[in-house]
Amino acid sequence: MEPTRQGRATLVDLLDRVLDKGLVISADVIISLAGVPLIAVNLRAAIASVETMLEYGLMKDFIQPQVTRS
Amino acid sequence: MTEKGLYLYCLAQGNKKESLDLKGIGGTPVKTLTHQSLVAVVQECESKPFESQDQKVLADWLLIHQGVVDWAWEKYEAILPFGFDTIMVPANGKSAKENLEEWLEKESEELKRKLERLKHKAEYGIQILWDVTIILSGIKKQDAEIQHWEEEINSKSPGVAYLLQKKLEDSIRKRLEMTADAYFKVFYQRIRGYVEDIHVEKIRKENPPKQMILNLSCLQRKAETEALGGVLEQISEIRGFDVRFTGPWPPYSFVNI
Repeated sequence: MEPTRQGRATLVDLLDRVLDKGLVISADVIISLAGVPLIAVNLRAAIASVETMLEYGLMKDFIQPQVTRS
Repeated sequence: MTEKGLYLYCLAQGNKKESLDLKGIGGTPVKTLTHQSLVAVVQECESKPFESQDQKVLADWLLIHQGVVDWAWEKYEAILPFGFDTIMVPANGKSAKENLEEWLEKESEELKRKLERLKHKAEYGIQILWDVTIILSGIKKQDAEIQHWEEEINSKSPGVAYLLQKKLEDSIRKRLEMTADAYFKVFYQRIRGYVEDIHVEKIRKENPPKQMILNLSCLQRKAETEALGGVLEQISEIRGFDVRFTGPWPPYSFVNI
């Protein structure tokens, strides 16, 4: 398996890094957006089109109750 | 006249001031500033962050940021990338440039140590996903108790069946968590042996029925990822599992130690 930088999921990977990481300067002469959650969350949602189906809901489908009313 | 800030892309080691034909965010020219054998790849900007409500604009800026960082990574043997919107500002009666130089001087030894450590290495992302329906079906097949419960539920009145079903779902959810945990540990241990450094990342939501059960950033020499690739190939062949192997990335996750 080769590492890749192509593809949609990979774009999210990249944005995660550029938005949330990198060298941190702790001094009063720096402005930094490191760790600003709102932009990151909105952007990821837009790019990765995450659906929030509950795991619970999924399991419900799987365990399908066969209770029938006669 | 607004006092200008300096948008920081990354640091590297070097002495030469380069003349570049590279444009950064907003089309502003990118330049290098050198100080005590450290090079800062920068551009001028306002003394405030780049902000936009338009996600397309924001995404474009992030890609430009990464483009400049990538350019520098190709040019210098090792770099320390900054995150988006890291801006050196004028303060304490000094210009942004002076503040940058002062900070570089103060941190010079530490920065050079970090650069040395990162030579010839890159960051790689590893994500392992499973198809929860396949995993659940596997669990169910092996578990006579779960099958027994299902028969029980089918034979009861709706009210009782509902309660029993809730209990069953709870128990299955716990089994799933334990199973995910066990797989995480096994995969982590296997991968650990093939990389120099490793950083556990947050699990991200995926489109059902896929679920992410492992998300790692790894540091490894660029020329030595074959064995790691082999391990990931093996994992991807296990029924129900997918592996994402991304990179090489500049070492964003390994610069703050």
